[in-house]
Amino acid sequence: MGTTASQLGKDLLSEYQELTFLTKQEILLAHKRFTELLTKDEKDLPNTRVSMERVLTLPELKSNPFRKRICYVFSTSEQKDGSLTFEDFLDLLSAFSDSATLEIKSHYAFRIFDFDDDGTLDCGDLEKLVNCLTGETDETRLTTEEMRQLINNILEESDIDKDGTVNLSEFQHVISRSPDFVSSFKIVL
Amino acid sequence: KEFVALSTRDRIRAIRDLAMSFEEKKHIRWVLTDKQLKLISFLVRVILRCGYSIRSARQTLELWQGIMKEIGGKFGTSVLSYFLFLKWLLMFNIFSFLINFGFITIPLLVYDPSPNIPPNVSFRGLEILTGAGYFNYTVMYYGGYSNETLIGLVDYNMQLAYFFTIAVYMVLCGIALIFSMASSFKENYVLADTVSNSAWQLLCSWDFSITNERAVRQRKNNLRVQLKVNKTCVTNPLLSVKTKSGEREAETLLVPFVVSLMNLVVPLFYSLFNKFEHYSSLGRQIYALVVRNVLLKMSILAVLCYYWMNVVAEKFSCWESMVGQALYRLVIVDFLFLMLGSFFGEFLSNVIGTRLLPRLGVPEFDVARNVLELIYAQTLAWIGIYFSPLLPAIQILKFFILFYLKKVSLTQNCQPPRRTGRAAQMQTIFIALLFFPFFVGALSIVAYTAWRLTPSEQCGPFRGLNNTFSVVGVWIDDLQEIPASQWVVWIYQNVIRSEIFYFLITLIIIVIIYIFWQVTQGRKQLIGQLRQQIVNVSVLHP
Repeated sequence: MGTTASQLGKDLLSEYQELTFLTKQEILLAHKRFTELLTKDEKDLPNTRVSMERVLTLPELKSNPFRKRICYVFSTSEQKDGSLTFEDFLDLLSAFSDSATLEIKSHYAFRIFDFDDDGTLDCGDLEKLVNCLTGETDETRLTTEEMRQLINNILEESDIDKDGTVNLSEFQHVISRSPDFVSSFKIVL
Repeated sequence: KEFVALSTRDRIRAIRDLAMSFEEKKHIRWVLTDKQLKLISFLVRVILRCGYSIRSARQTLELWQGIMKEIGGKFGTSVLSYFLFLKWLLMFNIFSFLINFGFITIPLLVYDPSPNIPPNVSFRGLEILTGAGYFNYTVMYYGGYSNETLIGLVDYNMQLAYFFTIAVYMVLCGIALIFSMASSFKENYVLADTVSNSAWQLLCSWDFSITNERAVRQRKNNLRVQLKVNKTCVTNPLLSVKTKSGEREAETLLVPFVVSLMNLVVPLFYSLFNKFEHYSSLGRQIYALVVRNVLLKMSILAVLCYYWMNVVAEKFSCWESMVGQALYRLVIVDFLFLMLGSFFGEFLSNVIGTRLLPRLGVPEFDVARNVLELIYAQTLAWIGIYFSPLLPAIQILKFFILFYLKKVSLTQNCQPPRRTGRAAQMQTIFIALLFFPFFVGALSIVAYTAWRLTPSEQCGPFRGLNNTFSVVGVWIDDLQEIPASQWVVWIYQNVIRSEIFYFLITLIIIVIIYIFWQVTQGRKQLIGQLRQQIVNVSVLHP
């Protein structure tokens, strides 16, 4: 039940259309781009899993600061190595598409920002988040004092139950008041 | 489980909304599909498949879909909002052209296909630029329309048709603008965070669609700076440079030329001032620029309209056509200058920035200035609809060419914006600006013309009347003869013409607004109480 030949069957296509937010053209384009990532032998195998390094050669993901987290979140492999099958890839594109709902986008954004996968955003996660967005070298990072101040500001804004972490509902509440989020949380092939 | 209770269609939609991996979704779906329902769900699936193909077809037919995706991917959402705005304005003009052409021009053309042009006037090429000459006697302008009741298959009253078509179009425009402004305001201001530079806003509005590596790097740098900066306010006295357009016109093209030149040059000065002034935030910078540009354009339009209403209306015999021609020339010259503006603003800046003065760098696409130019162009069209019903056709052509021009100029000359602008809030401000003062201003000009000014004697559909509005009065008088339409007469006399009705309506609306305001205050208090409750509960049950 995976992608065997280079063409997608009609049944499979309609199933993908039902289960994701993508249109037929978007699914076909995704299929084309995904098969370009496969080697010659892999193209004939069903349900091939592409390693994270190869997925990250896609231009849409190459410069994204969260590329590794995105792969980890959408990957269904047991080894948790960030590798994606075609259906994982479709899941990714569906969550990042134009028609995905705010709930889906905020849910996946939360999981992407949750670097230690513990279900809440604590100080460590927030620090890694800020570092992802400000730069990786030592000159571009914020100082410890600035980071502490920033994290305090963030928690003050969004931590409603004052437990020191931001859980999913608090995150979704903050996101719902950010009108630019839906249009920014988009990846289009 | 809840899913079983839903219909198959809702079930599929609900499964799609689950934030689960593909395998899990498929599993749920097959578990829920009953063997007995297989036939029914097959039919539903066929219907759904039709729905999907309609959706795909609509996406391919939708204008410029591919180009928009490309621009959004390379340059971000704030630049994309300019192009979406352009497309939205284009829709207004297409609608206007269709109803004007359908209800006013076609009946006249069907009834009298040959235009009554004096024998010594022929078509020279210059008309396209000046709008005068041959065009003056065609259906392009107000003067080309007759005031009779056309006898054909039905009796078509041209006066009523002209009046009601324009009135209905303006009202529909106003309603569309109010609705879009209100919904944009609700989403992007009221529900949004009121703190402008809040840290979460900056972090969560990272644009995932940017693929260019240099753009990503620049955005990261700017985000870092924004996160570091303290929230202190730096106010600067607003420098305002207002200039008024000249009032003497020798050649007909001189006035539009001067107006467009000012519209081109003065905003460039404003942008130059911007580089020397220091603003505490990107928002304030754009706000100052927008206010100055709006004041400039409003004052230019105000002077022009004053001239048309007071001087032209007295002097010329077929003055509506004169005003129509003046507006036509303004639209055409404005278009030429927009092309020039692209050349100077983007191409030359790029050349200067890359070869001559590398310190300046590649220019960014100035969204605010370009959107204001669009709003100004649309205002000209709105004022011109009464005087020249086919002006929207020129506007459609202009916007069409402008889209491709700006797209090419953008991709060749500009770089993606370095700072993450607040695209949604800027969108709200632009729509609000479009409505008030520009649309309201255009509507007032047209209303003033229809109410106060005497239509010209020799030409046009309203010749011989005291003012345009009296068309309705005449029609109501005619209707009084017919017993079946007494209710229309009653409505006109007791609702539209009576002052008590408007007084009562205003009073009721004020009371309703007061009630809603009190409800909002109560809800704010409730939110505060609920927040406190959450804190208390989490302390008790950690």
